[in-house]
Amino acid sequence: MANAQQNYFELFGLEPNFFIDQNDLSSKLKRLLQSTHPDRHAQGGSQQQMLAMQKTTRLNDAFAVLKDPVKRAQYLLRLVKNIDTTQDHTVNDAEFLMQQLELREELDTITKQKDASELMSFADKIEVRAEQQEDELARLFKQDSWDLDALKISIYKLQFLHKTLRDIELAEDTLLD
Amino acid sequence: MALLQISEPGQSTRAHHHRLAAGIDLGTTNSLIATVRSGEAATLADLEGRHTLPSVVHYKSDSEVVVGHEAKARQAVEPGNVVSSIKRLLGRGLADMDKIKEFSANTLVESDSGMPGVVLENGIQKNPVEVSSDILRTLANRAEEALGGELGGVVITVPAYFDEAQRQATKDSAQLAGLKVLRLLNEPTAAAVAYGLDTGSEGIHAIYDLGGGTFDISILRLQKGVFEVLATGGDSALGGDDFDRAIGQYLVEQAKINSDDRRAHQLAMIKAREVKEALTDTDSVEVDFFDWQGEMSRAQIEEIIAPIVDKTLLSCRRTLKDAGVKVDEVEKVVMVGGSTRVPLVREKVEQYFKVPPLTDIDPDKVVAIGAAIQANVLIGNKSGDDMLLLDVIPLSLGVETMGGLSEKIIPRNTPIPIAKAQEFTTFKDGQTAMAIHVVQGERELVEDCRSLARFELRGIPPMVAGAARIRVTYQLDADGLLQVMAEETTSGVKTDITVKPSYGLNDEQITDMLKSSFSHAEDDMEARMLREQKVEAARVIEAVSAALNENGKELLNDEEYAAIQSALEQLNETAQGESTKAIQDALDFVEKSTNEFASRRMDASIAKALVGHEVDEIDEI
Repeated sequence: MANAQQNYFELFGLEPNFFIDQNDLSSKLKRLLQSTHPDRHAQGGSQQQMLAMQKTTRLNDAFAVLKDPVKRAQYLLRLVKNIDTTQDHTVNDAEFLMQQLELREELDTITKQKDASELMSFADKIEVRAEQQEDELARLFKQDSWDLDALKISIYKLQFLHKTLRDIELAEDTLLD
Repeated sequence: MALLQISEPGQSTRAHHHRLAAGIDLGTTNSLIATVRSGEAATLADLEGRHTLPSVVHYKSDSEVVVGHEAKARQAVEPGNVVSSIKRLLGRGLADMDKIKEFSANTLVESDSGMPGVVLENGIQKNPVEVSSDILRTLANRAEEALGGELGGVVITVPAYFDEAQRQATKDSAQLAGLKVLRLLNEPTAAAVAYGLDTGSEGIHAIYDLGGGTFDISILRLQKGVFEVLATGGDSALGGDDFDRAIGQYLVEQAKINSDDRRAHQLAMIKAREVKEALTDTDSVEVDFFDWQGEMSRAQIEEIIAPIVDKTLLSCRRTLKDAGVKVDEVEKVVMVGGSTRVPLVREKVEQYFKVPPLTDIDPDKVVAIGAAIQANVLIGNKSGDDMLLLDVIPLSLGVETMGGLSEKIIPRNTPIPIAKAQEFTTFKDGQTAMAIHVVQGERELVEDCRSLARFELRGIPPMVAGAARIRVTYQLDADGLLQVMAEETTSGVKTDITVKPSYGLNDEQITDMLKSSFSHAEDDMEARMLREQKVEAARVIEAVSAALNENGKELLNDEEYAAIQSALEQLNETAQGESTKAIQDALDFVEKSTNEFASRRMDASIAKALVGHEVDEIDEI
């Protein structure tokens, strides 16, 4: 039970699967941490404390992966199909590549103008797109036989949109300063 | 083995020795110590009935150290031999000192540890860890006298926004004071514990903590005893002192005082504080400062300090965003820190969060009280079955890459403990060593971040360039402290790591300082160590026996069970003797014998947690 070989899904008593009830995941995490958290082992020996730290670290890690659609999809594909989608970033989708360039340029221009409200509406736009892309990813995972190439592209697209959202946050931080 | 264990909620089924534990709020201007007695957490007063201890130390001579009110009183007489606001220097390098103006009274030099040394007029030199340790020892003595025994452990609070170096320096100070640190606890989290347990309040809470020298804002979710920090932010160099400085600047201008008159500037700060405090309850005061007499109104000082308060609200905004919480989702705002007494602070916070801020628990004491509650749980006096604090790392952890850029490996607000592994390779054929620089902060350039440590990886097996794969693991523990491990993965060779903290002490230096501080009382130290070992042995025997009773028969075979029992008997016997070393060996042996059992117990409780959950779900249907 709960050894290092257990995968992230098993840690939470789940089958490897893209569809996860986030509320359930979060309450399971809290239950598990009640057993493993270092505060629960403050009176144990140094080995026990080390073990508690390692188990809690692994649970925190697993939770971070399972709650994020990109990381979850990447982890799932590696686990089930032994495919690494974290390194390979070549996407032969000319239309998407163009969009990508345009979005980067748009963000650049807004950042230079230091226009907070423009930045907000840009963020809203990207958020909507990210949601659509997440739905698309879910649709692909729902199919009985996974189209691996389509999944790879879909993950990459979602990853790009998330990265853009983080860049928007950074831009916002500099506006605040 | 008991088939059925019946116990009152919140009470352990095992009989315990009550062990002494305390919570310490080590503040920039004032410090406090609190403890739980008869289920009630309260701060402890000194013999004169004063609860707060000014964080001021007067070094009369090497052996004569005065901490607190008396030291503060000496400050006006001989500022050169008195150290204050030392917290601002903890875990900082000399390069950071330009920003820290309080120390104009003391001369700062670089010591061999990279930490600033404070040089006093009488020639004594102290580093920030030593000064903090003197404050901690004074508080611990107060508690030990009041409680009639040695403290088994303490929880010390730190600003949530403290970086790793500042946390490590705080822990080093406690170690130097001979205190066992059960946990470093973030100040806002401590305040949330004090409020949450007191009122049973649930939902999203914002903890607004404005102290003398630091500002913290934390957003927590409170639910069934779980205190989950969603995000934390703030400014480790912004506090009520900045109000005084701004008002003092106004006074200096009115009195037309020369800008290099340092003494007059110090007096201006003191006068400014008086004015600020007076205007908390009245609308205007008469001010007499050097050649200037005049009236100052509350509106006037509010205009002076408003930009500083607004800066804290910008932090609130950013932290709410990090937490993924909208301002109207915040149900309660808790005020912490003496500077939240300033009416303008309360007004602006209420305006921003649109709820009246809570001040039911004394904002000066609430942090120490929360720390005491946590200390009492951690030392094992209360089973604390449902209380759990889940905290986060306040600032991103990064590694220096080519071109002086910081590559983030653990983003801010990630729950701790957490670990991240990173792979490096060699640039040259036959390269056997490489250097890694770990920094903390959000900025892109390494020079804009805080330097935490430089590591040297040695003993990499010689290979062609790019063939070696060095896996470096950064582990942040529940105190937010960093450990680094490295391994060459193609050969499996563990690489040696030489850790050089950027501003701090390595273990050897701490041991040296401990030795020198105890050298005049060596017998004393040995006696103390023996006593501590005996207490520890008794505690281990009690804890392991209880564990064996609970599920030893289920989780161990007869042979394993007997091995643990025999290790316990051996420890029990050794603990009757007078050899610290023998007791330590017996303790180590018990620990070794019970490792597997501890691991199985943890797995069993994990399994139960998952099963329990499924049962709950069925119940709900």
